[in-house]
Amino acid sequence: MQQGNTLEHLHASESAQRAVMERARKALGGIILGKNDQITLALACLLARGHLLIEDLPGLGKTMLAQSLARVLGLSFRRIQFTSDLLPADIIGVSVFRQDRGEFEFQPGPVFSQLILADEVNRATPKAQSALLEAMEEHQVSVDGTTRELPEPFFVVATQNPGDQIGTFPLPESQLDRFLMRVELGYPNEASERELLAGEDRRELLKDIEAVANPDMLNALQESASAVHVTDALFDYIQALVRHTRESADIEIGLSPRGAQALVAAAKALAFIENHSGAYPDDVQAVFAAIAGHRLKPASGTRFRTPTELCQHVLDSVAIP
Amino acid sequence: MKMRPRGTDGSLLSSLPWTMAALTFSVAPHLPYLPIWIIAAFFGCAAWRYVIEKQRRMLPSSWFRALLALLCFLGVFATYSAISGVGPGSALLAIMASLKLLETRKRRDQFVLLFISVFLVMSSLLREQYLWSLPYMIVSVIVIMTAWLRMSAVSRETAKQSFATGGRLLLYAAPIAIAMWIFFPRLATPFWAVPIDTGRASSGLSDTMSPGDISSLSLSNEVAFRVTFDGDVPEPRDRYWRGLVLSRFNGRTWTGLEPSMSAAARQQIAVFGDPVAYEITLEPTRQQWVFALDMPMSWSLPETFMGPQQQLARSLPIDQRVAYEAISYPEYRVEADSSSLYRRWYSRLPENSNQRTVELARQMRDTAGSDRAFIDAVLQKFHNEEFFYTLEPPPLGNNPVDRFLFETRRGFCEHYASAFSVLMRSAGIPSRIVLGYHGGEINPMGGHLIVRQSDAHAWTEVWLEDLGWYRVDPTAAVAPDRIDYGASDAAFEGLGEAWGLSAPSQLLHRLSLTLDALNVKWNDWILGYGPDTQNRFMEWLGMDNPDQRKMLFTMIGLVFGMIALISLLLALRYRAPAKDPAARLYQRFIKKTGLVPGIGETAQQFAHRASSSDALPPADIESVTTAYLDARYGPADTSSFARLKRAVAAIG
Repeated sequence: MQQGNTLEHLHASESAQRAVMERARKALGGIILGKNDQITLALACLLARGHLLIEDLPGLGKTMLAQSLARVLGLSFRRIQFTSDLLPADIIGVSVFRQDRGEFEFQPGPVFSQLILADEVNRATPKAQSALLEAMEEHQVSVDGTTRELPEPFFVVATQNPGDQIGTFPLPESQLDRFLMRVELGYPNEASERELLAGEDRRELLKDIEAVANPDMLNALQESASAVHVTDALFDYIQALVRHTRESADIEIGLSPRGAQALVAAAKALAFIENHSGAYPDDVQAVFAAIAGHRLKPASGTRFRTPTELCQHVLDSVAIP
Repeated sequence: MKMRPRGTDGSLLSSLPWTMAALTFSVAPHLPYLPIWIIAAFFGCAAWRYVIEKQRRMLPSSWFRALLALLCFLGVFATYSAISGVGPGSALLAIMASLKLLETRKRRDQFVLLFISVFLVMSSLLREQYLWSLPYMIVSVIVIMTAWLRMSAVSRETAKQSFATGGRLLLYAAPIAIAMWIFFPRLATPFWAVPIDTGRASSGLSDTMSPGDISSLSLSNEVAFRVTFDGDVPEPRDRYWRGLVLSRFNGRTWTGLEPSMSAAARQQIAVFGDPVAYEITLEPTRQQWVFALDMPMSWSLPETFMGPQQQLARSLPIDQRVAYEAISYPEYRVEADSSSLYRRWYSRLPENSNQRTVELARQMRDTAGSDRAFIDAVLQKFHNEEFFYTLEPPPLGNNPVDRFLFETRRGFCEHYASAFSVLMRSAGIPSRIVLGYHGGEINPMGGHLIVRQSDAHAWTEVWLEDLGWYRVDPTAAVAPDRIDYGASDAAFEGLGEAWGLSAPSQLLHRLSLTLDALNVKWNDWILGYGPDTQNRFMEWLGMDNPDQRKMLFTMIGLVFGMIALISLLLALRYRAPAKDPAARLYQRFIKKTGLVPGIGETAQQFAHRASSSDALPPADIESVTTAYLDARYGPADTSSFARLKRAVAAIG
């Protein structure tokens, strides 16, 4: 009853939603220093109901970003450290026979949380990976023949260390596709790093942080984001980009229709965060590398060393209609 | 999972066959001239490289390639004992292409390969410029263009589309190429001389004649020269095309003098009757001899002189096709020195050779009573006795004339001319042998006469007190048809009927004549487009006093004009996507800023750049940009469009 009112209230009041977004951005920016673009992308990913893959070296704040997202948005948070001996049951949960009651009882695994940090996802075996990826796709898990719904919203932040080569199972392209966005954090700039070194311990700060939203509010925000207006002109632009990725000699595998859908959803979410009247080409460009970077397969012998460079090249080659 | 180091990744697999096809196309015209080992190396390297790509093997190591390159270079040097010139040059190009294939790792290497193929195509023109060269070159260039497009263009394009695109690009370039070809000033003396392959065997007549050795009669249908007559074409029996004269005999072989100039030679000729004027287009012979209808009195070929035996020669070998006009008198008389020394020189025979012939001649001369009666008697002997005209005579031994006259009695013009001459000399009558061509075939398509290598002929001249040098053709006594109809016609019809092939072979013959007529046009208009023709053509086009400056400027003007025209046509064909009203208003704003938006630059990025350029007040830029974004990308709403209209109007 109370919930219904809140939802209506939120729908009615766009400004209230904006205020929530602003507060969330500010709170996150206070913890993860100098990474406003990535924070905005992570929020957009969440608003577009997508999962996030953070790919970077250790110690750059991947875990911190995931944790603070959960905290700020008021979501329940669990972390799963992926290791080579991780079993699907360690993620999903297991049915345990209770002697006292004489029956099986399902012990839910860490996946039954609203925000999950799958740390170093490429360290686990493909079997364990696919257990998580299935949950991401279906928003439900099947254990012992029973299908169990996962909590809503359900949001996975996976991290992957690109430096690790030995003993890892990098996610194949088909599974990378399950992640709406892939972002790199990168090193902080000088000023942010100084602030980081001189300031308080981030973990302590995290404890003090207050939730600016709750699951219901997040749901309302997601609905507003998907309602952002997209004109034909923007669809033309998105299709031109997608076509270019499919026809360019530098790219072996271009964007799939699912990739194109992801691009639209992410652009809308970003337009919502940025308070644009509709999705602008700027929004498309801002999310393009995060959407396309892990979905494109560069042709061998191409001159682009990183996916980001390749994506920038695509943006620089396609005229905005 | 680890990749083998430096193995190919198979990425060239799709474009490599095209590059190889382009190379093969461009090497093909050189194949008849390249030594076999280079051809083998080329195809070997191509196959090897393809297998490497297919099986993801490693390319050969660099020291191996260097060694191979050195060996090939030495090989070329050993084959040609030179590294410059058309032969070694194209051999080096072909070998370079083969070896480059072995280090082709990236697209850039493929570019180099295609450049080499363009060079190879061009260098084939240094060898031959046939009628089919042009269509063949066009096809080769289209294949090269296709290969180019296959490796650089959109990977989803089909090969057929690439081929069509290649052809279209060539079509765009065609008018420019034609204009440059027509107007580029031709120089009387070329800038550079193409080094000629000296290793090539000369086609045409040989300088010596040894009847009875291996049959050297050319049966080739190759054209020796073509003749266009100003008036009527002389009868076949009168078409004696004079070439070189042989006057020394060693018992087996007749040899002539080196080409030399004799001022007296022309003055010895007295002419009667009507002259025959004609133009000869002589195919290259790599020899100095120049052919003309017996007896030439004037000729337009520069540096050409008449030798002491009324033979024409040019001071330089004929390396390229030449055309010259000449005037001949079929009725003539050549006086000569009547001194006994001169007479003796032309009656010399080696001692102790062809004894039976000498005997016979003396006997016949005594019986005949006069020189002329003796000549008639010899011709009668050839005609009445069992002498045969054949192109496959049996070999003759050490005394070829004896053996021919008394035993085999089979031979062709060389045998009869030689035997006749020896008989004459034995009787003390001066005689010499003339080599040249006889007859020729009239091409009804072009009205010109084609003289082929198979029309080569040998006849004799005898010196008589009252007639001077007098032409006697002993072959006419044996095979009158050969003289009346010409070699090729007689032989051809006989063959066709014997095999029952007359209908299709007639058709084939017609086809070859049509091709020949086309070839003449090609020679006249394309290959023969020199300074004179160009000047005449310019005058015909209406250019007064054409000179090189005028032509050069016309060419530059035309080329730029055509580039502009083609670009304009292409620009017109390009249909820009329909712009909506908001985009059109925004375009006006862009013009006002004086800046050019980059590809993929968004309105906001552009606004940011425009604000820092002070072209317009930042506030105006801001208001136009937000209004444009709202109108173009926001919800459908007329107010934002009106806002944009006002904002754009405000800055105008």
